[in-house]
Amino acid sequence: MTFLLLFKDELRGFYKSKVMIFLWIGLPLMTVILHLWSPDTGEDIPFTALSAILISSMGGTLAAVMLTVSIIHEKTRHVYDLFLVRPLKRWNLIISKFFAVYTCIAVASFLALMLGLVIDYFSMGGAPEAVLNDAAQSLAISLSMMAVSSSAGVLIGVAAPSVLVGAILVIYGGNQISAIPMLPNMLNISNPVPFTIILGAVTSCILLVIAVFLFTRKQF
Amino acid sequence: MSESGERNGLVVFEGISKRYEDLLALNNVSFEIEEGEIFGYIGPNGAGKTTTIKIMVGLLRPTQGTLYIGDHPMPDEKGEVHKMLGYLPQSFAFQEWRTVDHALRTFGKLSGLEKNEVEHRIEEVLDLVALPDVRYKKIVKLSGGMTQKLGLAQALLHNPKLLVLDEPLAGLDPASRYQIKQIIKGLGKSGTTVFFSSHILSDVQDVATKIGILNRGRIMQIGTLDELKSRFPKKNDVEITLSHDSGRWKELESLTGVTSLEQSAPNRLLVHLDSKADIDETIHNLIQGLIDLDCRIRSFTPVFPSLDEVYLQYVEGGENA
Repeated sequence: MTFLLLFKDELRGFYKSKVMIFLWIGLPLMTVILHLWSPDTGEDIPFTALSAILISSMGGTLAAVMLTVSIIHEKTRHVYDLFLVRPLKRWNLIISKFFAVYTCIAVASFLALMLGLVIDYFSMGGAPEAVLNDAAQSLAISLSMMAVSSSAGVLIGVAAPSVLVGAILVIYGGNQISAIPMLPNMLNISNPVPFTIILGAVTSCILLVIAVFLFTRKQF
Repeated sequence: MSESGERNGLVVFEGISKRYEDLLALNNVSFEIEEGEIFGYIGPNGAGKTTTIKIMVGLLRPTQGTLYIGDHPMPDEKGEVHKMLGYLPQSFAFQEWRTVDHALRTFGKLSGLEKNEVEHRIEEVLDLVALPDVRYKKIVKLSGGMTQKLGLAQALLHNPKLLVLDEPLAGLDPASRYQIKQIIKGLGKSGTTVFFSSHILSDVQDVATKIGILNRGRIMQIGTLDELKSRFPKKNDVEITLSHDSGRWKELESLTGVTSLEQSAPNRLLVHLDSKADIDETIHNLIQGLIDLDCRIRSFTPVFPSLDEVYLQYVEGGENA
């Protein structure tokens, strides 16, 4: 009940602050623009793959920065003081924020990949099985990487003392950590997708558990 | 605590200390607040008022000591305490995108109100703090004073048994100050226990039924206003109002036991008495003397110290007070 209420609240906040519109329209649009401007390398990179790479790097960083800045901003302005004196578990506050941002980013990824599939369909004269497989793999990698960077954003938001420190940490550190789900691909494991998802989920959970532990013990 | 060791108060601080690295913000603070009391907590900036309050509402953990609210030890059972607690922090903010209605709706639900109750209570509390017209406005568009009143509204939303207000009158214009003071008095009459901090003495004097003076992390005095004044060293001053002033009262300056005699206002005399002399005899002679000198006495009042004087004694006197 409390979690759902706060989750809906956070989603509403992102909707009202236009962040959601930027993600859902802006990210796919930027992917198309970059695709059109990209130099002809002679290699036939499917657009879906390009979308996934762009979104996972840009979207992941964006989500992490959004979470970090939002949490630090609310901490320093004493927004949480009004929530923490009510009968609710503290973890609800930051986990609802994580899921709200992650939902926004996941929808943006899905939209961008769908756009990529449509473009691939027309440019390649159909949707071969390989492209669909690539799309599914790209989506899995994107979502795993974004989950990790978002949870890193939450952890840094809870721990960092100021917006500046938080932003620096999340841009450098968050990006590095978000590469963890790519390890199965780098190690040339056959069918790496399940490993990517598991690694992404486990890493995210560890980061979120640490964030919740710190937030629960924090004195305001 | 009572002699039998039972806790009588709704709020019971027992030897609470709070240390921030090198700074001892609270030093062995003990006091009780009875149900229905309006407790005014005064002290200079940095005395430890906000630290006390944050420990009380569970935002800070004490380094030492125990705190009970109701029968619940804090912070171990803060979930139970938070059900009966309303809190207005000294500095706070709402998320920028929220409207007044949306913020109150969320806080109401989080405090356990049912959907239909929330609707009804939002209307009531906004009326109470005189903000009925801003219900659907964005909070960022409100003035500082209005945001402060909204802060009080969110604290009152769920009819808390204990209301904790940290500098509730700061930043308000005189009319709003009066209004909020009336609300606090009304809440006290209806049985709500109110704990509020302030460094404005007149506000505390106007509203509080009990006063605690805090300085450098230590409780200097606790009691009703009259109790605090009565503990203050007696000044042995009396003020005499005359209905007829012959102008001959100056002759009484040489009276035994009178240190000095001055006119504080037309028809009003301030007499400083020698504390070593027999006060009863001096006063008797003084009254007799005035009558003999053709002065008519309308009133004769011992001068008690004001809260300002009591406060300054304990705050500026510091440890030695």
